[in-house]
Amino acid sequence: MRLAKLFLIPFLMLAAGSALFAADKIFPYPYVQEDLPNGLRLITIPTDYPNIVALYIVVSAGSRNEVEPGKSGFAHLFEHLMFRGSPEFSPEKYQAVLSEAGAASNAFTTDDYTAFHTTFSKEDLPRILSMEADRFQHLAYDPAAFRTETLAVLGEYNKSSANPASKLQEVLRATAFTAHTYRHTTMGFLADVEAMPGAYDYSRQFFDRYYRPESTTIIVAGDVDPKRVRALVGERWSTWKRGDYKAQIAVEPPQDGPRTAHVDWPSPTLPLVAVAWRAPAYSDSTEDAAALDAIARLAFGQNSPLYQKLVVDEQKADSLRASMADRVDPYLFTVTARVKKAADLDAIERQIEATAQEFAAKPVDPAKLDDLKRHMRYDFAQQLDNSEAVAETAALYVALRRTPESADRYYDMYAKLTPEDLARAARQYLTERNRTVVTLTSVGGAK
Amino acid sequence: MREMMRVAALVPLAATAAMGAPRVVELPGKSPLVTIRLVFTTGAALDPADKPGLAHLTAALLSGGGTKDLTYRQLLDAMYPMAAGVEAYSDKEMTTFAGQTHVDNLDKFYGLMRDMVLHPGWRAADFARVRDDTVNALRVSLRGNNDEELAKEELYNLIYRGTPYGHENLGALGALGKMTVADLQGFYKRQYTQANLIIGIAGGYPPEFAARVKRDFTALPAGTANHFEFPAPAPPPSNQATLIAKDTRSVAWSLGYPIAVKRGDPDFPALLVAQSWLGQHRESSGRLFTRMREIRGLNYGDYAYIEYFPRGMFTFAPEPNIARHQQIFQIWIRPVEQPNAVFALRLAMFELARLVKDGIPPADFERTRTFLSKYVNVLTKTKSDELGYAIDSAYYGIPNYNEYVKTSLAKLTAADVNRAIRKYLRAENLQIVGVAKDTSQLKAELTSAAATPMHYNSPKPQDVMDEDKTVEKWPLGLKPEDVAIVPVDTIFEN
Repeated sequence: MRLAKLFLIPFLMLAAGSALFAADKIFPYPYVQEDLPNGLRLITIPTDYPNIVALYIVVSAGSRNEVEPGKSGFAHLFEHLMFRGSPEFSPEKYQAVLSEAGAASNAFTTDDYTAFHTTFSKEDLPRILSMEADRFQHLAYDPAAFRTETLAVLGEYNKSSANPASKLQEVLRATAFTAHTYRHTTMGFLADVEAMPGAYDYSRQFFDRYYRPESTTIIVAGDVDPKRVRALVGERWSTWKRGDYKAQIAVEPPQDGPRTAHVDWPSPTLPLVAVAWRAPAYSDSTEDAAALDAIARLAFGQNSPLYQKLVVDEQKADSLRASMADRVDPYLFTVTARVKKAADLDAIERQIEATAQEFAAKPVDPAKLDDLKRHMRYDFAQQLDNSEAVAETAALYVALRRTPESADRYYDMYAKLTPEDLARAARQYLTERNRTVVTLTSVGGAK
Repeated sequence: MREMMRVAALVPLAATAAMGAPRVVELPGKSPLVTIRLVFTTGAALDPADKPGLAHLTAALLSGGGTKDLTYRQLLDAMYPMAAGVEAYSDKEMTTFAGQTHVDNLDKFYGLMRDMVLHPGWRAADFARVRDDTVNALRVSLRGNNDEELAKEELYNLIYRGTPYGHENLGALGALGKMTVADLQGFYKRQYTQANLIIGIAGGYPPEFAARVKRDFTALPAGTANHFEFPAPAPPPSNQATLIAKDTRSVAWSLGYPIAVKRGDPDFPALLVAQSWLGQHRESSGRLFTRMREIRGLNYGDYAYIEYFPRGMFTFAPEPNIARHQQIFQIWIRPVEQPNAVFALRLAMFELARLVKDGIPPADFERTRTFLSKYVNVLTKTKSDELGYAIDSAYYGIPNYNEYVKTSLAKLTAADVNRAIRKYLRAENLQIVGVAKDTSQLKAELTSAAATPMHYNSPKPQDVMDEDKTVEKWPLGLKPEDVAIVPVDTIFEN
């Protein structure tokens, strides 16, 4: 088979006693990356963790791809439907194979992608790769099975519905976005979830559009030989037909001024506030997203002056966190706080906004930025403590740029960030015009 | 007085363990990461009767407050560039401080972790904050925002009511409000002893490191090791249901009872197979998952356990270092829409009754045994997991957990499993907890002889419809006096 692309990344073993900063690549494992002629990408990552293999199959379709009105939540529903069997492997037979392999198997859906992951003993790799090839190419479920699965999805909505943080996120997205599909959560609008049982035909169309080799990447990490994995994948996945669908995802127009929303929560809870700004998409080549990530950590993380003030000293909030989410399209920079007294809610919101302004007005202390850079590298290294985590981390970057190399590029860029980069990003993005604030309080008042 | 339970030393956990000296479990390796687990064999079972939550709060202040030399802020600042931290949690018999660092930073990280445990700062402001956090964890995060974990936690408390296990680990709101730093210091002095300490170290640490840690912790009082024994609670005379009333969308159920089998007991591997077959946690293979979710679409998932398993909605694998001398059998039914809630409960009880009566089919036995023999590798996939299991194995007096599971499963027969099921499991005299909105309606359905049919949105095969005819009338054995309705704001109050 023709090798469309082949990388063999040099490897620097992190032996005990070595300094992390001697490593020039943040993603320390060598891997082989190759595209099959049908567009399917295979990334094989041998690790030094024995016996275990972690398989991640990443499909570049998430709730971002739910472009038709009334169809929010379909990428997630589809994650469920993938376990509904094929002519060769009924759901029972599929499960039996996983059980015999002692496999831990699951799947999850995000805004941008859906991942199917299985961790098992190395001797079961051929069987599992073959079975997965079967369901990705020959998934078959009847309308009755489809309708039953929609109820499991409603059950998933129900299990999260007691948590006001889920509602806060729902309302924040629906307020901050008017056109782009990031307007809804991955779970989808409740009305759409409740209407799913009637959408069997659409579900087949969704599969036909997105479950295609050119949208899919297979990551195999662990106790594996790349040549053998390549042969196994070639054997069973080469027959998968390429598709041609391109989703037309609406571009969100620039925000034209601050927005607010409020949620009345029916039972006792502590007040919540989310302050969010429209932010750029993930990038491993321009600094803005990385600079905003650094602000999220320095301005609102556990070590930040604001956290120390609100959570540790004054103890007016019991949680303060911020995230600059990595997304394919522009999304949000979000700060959330859980506040002990509703009377403090407004003041805390203002302090969050003022903190963002301070970052725009004055470059951060370079020593703090250096500490953060060290933190980021150690944090990354400590996450890679088993093959499943290696595959999962690779999947994050595969979802964004279809290669773990993006992690190296992103962290290299992060290492070069300057205080002025942060200030510039704050001035550009953390503006009043770009801001959405959502609050949530208990109907009966905070208890 | 619960603390009077302490009598004698546990069986020595390691061949080299001397009375009064910390025991050390080492797992050296090539990884650039080093994991340290400091496990004290103390916990909520030793909370004084009037101070539930004392063990938790003590651990929370040690891990969430400053040291003698550093304020909490200075401690966080010191940890930050290393991306390190210390997590603490406290169960009935174990209190764990766990941390991981890159070996580059081992000296500095270890020094901070050691001081957190050996030289706590005991500052009033830190105490006020961690106590507030605990109160909010109980009142808001658990009672207010998480119906599933609320049902499970209240089930655990009801199962063991009247015993040292019979209260929430985080404590009770009334008692937490009265606790003082002096209470915590007293608990620390009595319980944080060398005899109660197991030091676990794993990863690429230098050869002399373990001896250094052990030497440092001889600064603790020698003490006498705790011993946890109390009579198993008697089963209720009939099924008992507690319905927690709150404004919520659906109904969360948990049910179970204590079982006289724990890790290391002869029938534990047999029950492990039974549990996995009935409802392996967060896998799609269990009988309950298949019959309740896959075939009927009742909810998001349904699982079974033979060991205490907190925080199941947040984690795919059990946390290590919550070892106990008494264990539970438990079924977790994830939220069900109220019209199908009683049918779901009946179906779970029907499946449990069938398991007790018929046991596991021979082919399923082989498959489940194979699954568990391999799945144990997944459970111990990180050095930190492996270390946690090794400490638990030392506590239970069993060999390396992977070896223990593989060797004991290899010797099992289907007949052993079915005998153990008949001996230890039952489908009656259960404690049942539900969290629901319309509890009066639910109580009426639970205590009436009327059938509670399932409402489907698609046609079902005839065998399922036939089975439903039995399930919808399956006897729940609940009389009105067996069903208590409890307002949610009374839970964890006292």
